Amino acid sequence: MKRTFLVAWREFTSVVLTRGFLLGVLMVPVIAAISIGAIFLMRNQQAPRAVGEVAIVDRTGLLTDAIRKQFSAEGQKAEGAETTAKINQQLDKLPLDDAQKAQIKNQTAAQVENASDKSDLNVTIIQPGDLEATKEQIKNAKIKVSDTEGEARPVIALADLVPGLITPNEAGVYEGFKLFTAPKLSFEVQRRIENNISRAIVDVRIATDARVKASGMDAGALKAMLASPRAETITVSTAGETKSIGPLRMLIPMAFMALMLISVMTSGQYLMTTVVEEKSSRVMEVLLSAVSPMQLMVGKILGHMAVGLSILLVYGSLGVVGLLISAMMDLVSPLTLVLLVVYFLIAFFTIASLMAAIGSAVNEMREAQTLLTPVMMLIMLPWLLWMPIQRAPNSMFSTVLSFVPGVNPFVMVIRLGGEESIPTWQIPASIGVGLLAVVFSAWAAAKVFRIGVLMYGKPPNFKTLVKWVRMA
Amino acid sequence: MSSTNAITIKGVTKTFGTKVAVSNLDLQIPTGKVTGFIGPNGAGKTTTIRMIMSIIFPDSGELSVLGKQSAVESKDRIGYLPEERGLYRKMKVGPFLTYIAKLKGVDGSAAEQKARAWLERVGLKETWKKKCEELSKGMQQKVQFISSVIHEPDLIILDEPFSGLDPVNRRLLRELIDEQHRAGRTIIFSTHAMFEAEALCDQIFMIHQGQKMLDGQLADIIAQFDPRALVVEASPEIETSSAIATLTRLSGFERVRPDRDRPTVLECTLAEGVTSQDAMRRVLDALPVRRLERKRAALEDIFIDVILSTGQNGSPGGMNRFDPEHREKLKLELATAGSEPNS
Repeated sequence: MKRTFLVAWREFTSVVLTRGFLLGVLMVPVIAAISIGAIFLMRNQQAPRAVGEVAIVDRTGLLTDAIRKQFSAEGQKAEGAETTAKINQQLDKLPLDDAQKAQIKNQTAAQVENASDKSDLNVTIIQPGDLEATKEQIKNAKIKVSDTEGEARPVIALADLVPGLITPNEAGVYEGFKLFTAPKLSFEVQRRIENNISRAIVDVRIATDARVKASGMDAGALKAMLASPRAETITVSTAGETKSIGPLRMLIPMAFMALMLISVMTSGQYLMTTVVEEKSSRVMEVLLSAVSPMQLMVGKILGHMAVGLSILLVYGSLGVVGLLISAMMDLVSPLTLVLLVVYFLIAFFTIASLMAAIGSAVNEMREAQTLLTPVMMLIMLPWLLWMPIQRAPNSMFSTVLSFVPGVNPFVMVIRLGGEESIPTWQIPASIGVGLLAVVFSAWAAAKVFRIGVLMYGKPPNFKTLVKWVRMA
Repeated sequence: MSSTNAITIKGVTKTFGTKVAVSNLDLQIPTGKVTGFIGPNGAGKTTTIRMIMSIIFPDSGELSVLGKQSAVESKDRIGYLPEERGLYRKMKVGPFLTYIAKLKGVDGSAAEQKARAWLERVGLKETWKKKCEELSKGMQQKVQFISSVIHEPDLIILDEPFSGLDPVNRRLLRELIDEQHRAGRTIIFSTHAMFEAEALCDQIFMIHQGQKMLDGQLADIIAQFDPRALVVEASPEIETSSAIATLTRLSGFERVRPDRDRPTVLECTLAEGVTSQDAMRRVLDALPVRRLERKRAALEDIFIDVILSTGQNGSPGGMNRFDPEHREKLKLELATAGSEPNS
């Protein structure tokens, strides 16, 4: 027993204390955290800017003033305020606590406050005859983010505004407009120009429409009427009323399954690699002169189980911390987390035994590939099954799969992560099936392992492996 | 130890598929002796050793190791250096030796001390923190040897310990083995190097095609294969051809011929009924000599002779066992036959 643990400890440290593992496994969450942080930081940055002239061909003769107003410094501020309002509306939907929301709101408000007093984009009105010449200018325009002393702003966009924009045809349909832009103009700036012109057009439409005038309706009231209402979705459950978090809910079963797959796969791969390495470097005989094949195999499996569990714990606890931060911990019950570990162990022992057996049977990693294919298929199956199971956790399909050895730990974890609660009896029953699978695969693996570790030469095929299992 | 034999093998047979690796083998390895396992490649040496180690199990027959039914029960008292060298490539030398020592039942701190002491002993003190893959082949082999004796076993089994070592390290290893021997440990080693076997062994066990060919004390075996010949080297002032003529004229020699490699050394085969004592006296009377001795059978010659006498390799019956020409031819055949992998 002591030796089994010695083997297990060496296996564990030889994997966990390598630079590759620390970088590969532990750095991933760190990198994820850094990039999420970076995204947040970048969101606080202002959108890309560009200074320049927007040329307008106003064939309606009505739009000039409205467009100038939109592009003025005041218009720019008003636009900023509007965007902030939209962001705040989205923010209210996010499951963050009030203090955090308030902080973000203050930040964006401050940004609007500090926005430049000088407008980035000027409006130049040109004659229809100058259209082609202006296009030529745009073609060669160099985009600048700030003004240069003594240099005129380049023309970066040209809008051709036709009367049909303001006056609808007989069917009541308005026309669109063409906007010519410089080749390297950023999408955000382009959108801003579009939006400003569109807003101006709508304002002018309302202001000039005979029906509106006739009804004596206020333009602001009309705009407010047309805005889409915002909805607040609340989930009603026995636990009380909570704000619905929509897509996040769907991600939890996925996260559970991915977490388990990553930890089982990584540790299983490490296990197989070390067995193959010991065989090909012939350390095997030295080891077998000190421990029995069984002690060696059990020790290795236990060691790599610890590796898998550490991966599970690192990622899992990061997930839990994430949920705690966003006050969503009630999505996952502690019992579910315990069951996650239980199902991990079942999946790990089943797959690790197979991996150990395959590793023991071959001489080098290359030869392992063919034998590994069925195991890989078993592991890939949950990825394909995730969607249907997640959508209908209690369907006949999901229930039956919960009792298919090999895949059932993954299926159960997906079901447990979902919203629908599953019949209680299915949990112990599926654990039972899982344990049977563990016993069977460990038994078969032990037989293969004992013969395989000292077999060199032609790698065995599946038939040979089955023969080894059947041998007494 | 209660029994005088460290290892007893009775009627052991092991087959791999249709190939009989070891057939009905009986063998006793006396405690405290150095026993050499010799035999051509594929003869069954490694199979026998692996059975002793309980790494594989015999199909039939009985085996007892250090008084126990199987080596599993006395693993900690056995040190084993497998034929195929293996170390954890990425593991550091010090931790590797400590790990192996612990696996063999040495306590934690003692294991580390022993590992350090041993590395210093073989001149590898600086390699403690080096990865095993960074060592040269010879260094790796030394580390492996340490891993097989670090737990101070009573029985040490070394499969081909000398292969791949340079002369300096060969000598070092010979000293280390000798040291273990003096400490009263039973040592078994298999080898192709007859010179090492002759220098180190008390006992010789030879196996060929799964069957025991020789088993006994080295001195007895050598006596048994007495070539009945004298080695004569005449004084330098005497022409070799005239020396040959003089010796041929003497009664008592069946044949006189120069050594293949050193033509001034003459090999004189004794005639039937002539004692070496008589023959030597006659040589001394007839010729001023620089060197005169009884030819002693080299283990290498015995080895080849035994294989030859099994009829394998197409040896014609009745041929002189010590005919040098035939021997050379056979050596060549053995060398080429030996290139097939060991099973």
